[in-house]
Amino acid sequence: MNTVLVEPAPLRGPTDRARAAIEAAALGRRRRRHRAVLVNGAGVLLLFVFGFPVYWMVLTSFRRSVDIQSVDPSLLPIPGTLDNYRSVFDRDFFFTALRNSLIVTLVTVALALAIGFLAAVAVSRYRFRGRTSFIISVLVLQLVPAEALIISLFKVLDGWSLINTILGLTLTYLVFVLPFTIWTLRGFIANVPRELEEAALVDGASRLTAFRRVTLPLVAPGLVATGVFAFILAWNEFIFALVIMNRPQNQTLPVWLQAFNDGARGTDWGGVMAGSTLIAIPVVIFFLIVQRRIVAGLTAGAVKG
Amino acid sequence: MAVPVSAVQRRPRRRRQLFPYALVAPALVVLAFMLGYPLVRLGVLSVQRFGLEQQFGAPPDWVGLEHYRTILTDDYFWDVLWRTLAFCFVNVALTIVLGLLVALLLQMLGRKMRLAVSIALMLAWAMPPLSATIVWQWMFDAQYGLVNWLLTTLGIGDYQGHSWLSTPLSFFSVATIIVVWMGIPFVAFTLYAGLTQVPRELVEAASIDGAGPWDRFRAITLPIIKPVLTIVTALSILWDFRVFTQIYVLQQAGGISRDTNLLGVYAYRVAIGETRFDLGAAIAVVMVLISLLLTFVYLRQMARQEELA
Amino acid sequence: MKLKSMAALGLAGALALGACGGDDDDSSSGDDTTATTAAQAAATEAPSEEAATLRLWLNGEDIPDEVVQSAIAEFETAHPGVTVEFERQQWDGIVERLTTALSSDDSPDVVELGNTQAQTFEAAGALVDLSAHKDAMGGDELVQSLVESGTYDGTFYAAPLYGGARIVVYRKDLFEQAGLEIPTTIDEFIQAGVALKEANASTPNFSGIYFPGRNWHATLSFIWENGGDIAVQEGDEWVGELSSPESVAGLEQVQQIMTEANGAPPDSDDANDYIAFCNGEVGMLLGPGWKAGQIAAECPEMEANIGAFALPGTEPGTTAPVFLGGSNIGVSANSDHPDLAIELVKVITGESFQTELAGLGLLPVRTSLLDLVGGDEPKDAQAAAAQNSRFVPSSENWAAVEGANILQDMGVAIAQGADVAAEAQAAEEAILGHLNG
Repeated sequence: MNTVLVEPAPLRGPTDRARAAIEAAALGRRRRRHRAVLVNGAGVLLLFVFGFPVYWMVLTSFRRSVDIQSVDPSLLPIPGTLDNYRSVFDRDFFFTALRNSLIVTLVTVALALAIGFLAAVAVSRYRFRGRTSFIISVLVLQLVPAEALIISLFKVLDGWSLINTILGLTLTYLVFVLPFTIWTLRGFIANVPRELEEAALVDGASRLTAFRRVTLPLVAPGLVATGVFAFILAWNEFIFALVIMNRPQNQTLPVWLQAFNDGARGTDWGGVMAGSTLIAIPVVIFFLIVQRRIVAGLTAGAVKG
Repeated sequence: MAVPVSAVQRRPRRRRQLFPYALVAPALVVLAFMLGYPLVRLGVLSVQRFGLEQQFGAPPDWVGLEHYRTILTDDYFWDVLWRTLAFCFVNVALTIVLGLLVALLLQMLGRKMRLAVSIALMLAWAMPPLSATIVWQWMFDAQYGLVNWLLTTLGIGDYQGHSWLSTPLSFFSVATIIVVWMGIPFVAFTLYAGLTQVPRELVEAASIDGAGPWDRFRAITLPIIKPVLTIVTALSILWDFRVFTQIYVLQQAGGISRDTNLLGVYAYRVAIGETRFDLGAAIAVVMVLISLLLTFVYLRQMARQEELA
Repeated sequence: MKLKSMAALGLAGALALGACGGDDDDSSSGDDTTATTAAQAAATEAPSEEAATLRLWLNGEDIPDEVVQSAIAEFETAHPGVTVEFERQQWDGIVERLTTALSSDDSPDVVELGNTQAQTFEAAGALVDLSAHKDAMGGDELVQSLVESGTYDGTFYAAPLYGGARIVVYRKDLFEQAGLEIPTTIDEFIQAGVALKEANASTPNFSGIYFPGRNWHATLSFIWENGGDIAVQEGDEWVGELSSPESVAGLEQVQQIMTEANGAPPDSDDANDYIAFCNGEVGMLLGPGWKAGQIAAECPEMEANIGAFALPGTEPGTTAPVFLGGSNIGVSANSDHPDLAIELVKVITGESFQTELAGLGLLPVRTSLLDLVGGDEPKDAQAAAAQNSRFVPSSENWAAVEGANILQDMGVAIAQGADVAAEAQAAEEAILGHLNG
């Protein structure tokens, strides 16, 4: 990061430089106002592009089915209805699906962070035989298309009697988030200066205290970022949940939502949108809670030292 | 965790050498059993005759590389492969370029506006892929879709009943919009975080020295965010190469499946729809090899970084 | 010490999780009370059964909960100590679930299979041989084409569950306004569709006949009525018929409907046709027997204008052959209690359950009960259509043809105005590749 690639500007006198700065400032003020309009305009456009489909989903969820499938769509939910939400709550197994989704997701996040963190400590703090091959295989594992593994993975889980269990589904999600988790956390831990920890130890703190006071705060953004990644994956995953949890009382929300999209009898658009809105809410809440940390977390891991 | 860590200090050297293995053990066990073993099985399936009958217990025959020969001599497979690569290239390029622009914009925006845009981006990111695809498909619906209504109302043309999914080019344009829309938030946030590491003084100094915005970007910003850029590009390539949900859902809504299959969906249709698990496995193995090739530069860079570390 | 307790904690956690997911297993295997009742029952009654739980899978929304529960109650009374867990499944994704679940140790015991999927699973050995029980499940009284889909290589694996024949649902008021009578031949049917579309040209998206490209079930009627077919078996080989002049003539009729009478998107399917009907955008549509009921439920104000008839044939007074949809029901080869499961299948194929199905607008699988279907126009139409019903090539590889969307793709191309003979030729080659593959 200390290699700056700007070519040195030709030397000028100090007064030249000051005058140039003043001129630039005057010019800049005019330009800046111009630029502010442009930048904010682009911001509004972005708001629209990314917000509108979400708005459309929420809007549709409040509309009667006759208005949803009408040749003249209106941009406001008038006349509105709560029927779609009622049919969501009334449909069998909504609350069990919600419970299942929450448990699977939270356990996946917790296990991914714990196991991933331990492995990340090992590869970034210790040199051991097989370390490089471990890291490379973790990388390569990310290349495997998940859909191709359904049949084989099902057999593995079946052999261990883990079909229709939360543990079985959690283990499945774990393997798809672990590589990313290990990889990202590894960068974070490498960024924590060893001297800091050692200094704390010299001050008489135990290893655990040193870890908690020094290492953890520095690694926290990485934990948040990988936690978000794991959360979204486990919360939204469909195909593995479809085959691993084949009892209605064991299904997760995305699979449960599928019932509104019955192949032969058409789609209940209002129900689908109401369900999707409800499913998205926990993720949005989770996002808002950890929002500040995500951004810092995403890269720091990737950009080592 | 306290126990093993503090214990290590007092233990003999040998124990200490074992310690890192103990740390990776849980990850290794999970990955080996749940991913390693199925992967090996995938490879084995691809050299067996394995259909539904074998799934229900009939002993499979070994066929060697026959399935690979079948695939690689099938013109349709190559059609799908080129189509997938083209789709992947266009989508990655758009996602990265637009994502970078969004990241730069985020940096220029005021605090409130930035928060608002970030929240909109997060909403898009948080939406389940299935729901997001359904909403977009719904907006492009031929008869009741918003897009057709808008185009017709604005007098751009008579789009009433126009089917956006019926020709492959139009189908993939809609798919691209969805994939890029869903891909931008992650890329933009990550690159934005990368941008925050660019020292402000450096940029200002260059600006005073008369460097234009493009020169400043190329000379200062780009080198600093290059590692992040490499990573998000590599990840986008991986994701877009095996894109599944968006294509599969759109195919259920319209279009001609044969002309719109991409590799991920094709492998799934062959394996599950046609219950040819063996052929599907062979396609998946070929996909992994191609992903290796596509991300070779990134993998090599990572491996080298490891050697140095 | 501490390590040990941590490990114990972890184990307890894992156990708790396992229990969370599979608490129903626990109640079935470890429930003492049911075990004792079963033991008592065994002591007093002749049929001795252990406490057992059967998992019953039925798909989609066709059979309402009450009807299923009454069948379960009947079964449970006859078999004390046995509990049936009813698990309603969705048609979407059912192949994935059956492929995995039937091969697992935790397999459902009794499963419903769509009649075009059934043979695939029969051929794979996923189901128990029911030949010895065929008579008790209806025997010669059963609807023949559903017996065919339940039979593989001469062995009876899956009993017919219910059928459904396609009918024409139409708007009475629009017929009246356009001065049209119910068509008596297939040509009149097409002309009526074109006339309706012209008469309602001011309504956007209007279809005289709602016929999107993917409605391949309806397309089959025109192929068959003209003497064509998809493929026929000669010895061990399947020989293509889709590109024969007869089939092409039928497909050309379909193309005429799609381009001159249809307002539905060429590349969509018929799942949402009831919405278009409710929006007043449909004169006629070709759909399953329950379609009229679905429309009436969605827009009750339309109910008085809903009429139905069976698709007429080339000659006046005949009906065109229709695709017989429906389901089969079988017992998983991995069932822990195959004998009990077979008894459950007998209840479901039995007369009282089948009589209930007739009331729902589904076709019962016993020919003696077919007379019960009727009473209103759609049901009469379905009963009439069912007299002349046919099925897709009877092959374990047919599901792969559906999995590859071959007929759907052909329909879309035809709806877009492609050359019919060329599309039929291409589709035929692809289909034969699967059937003979």
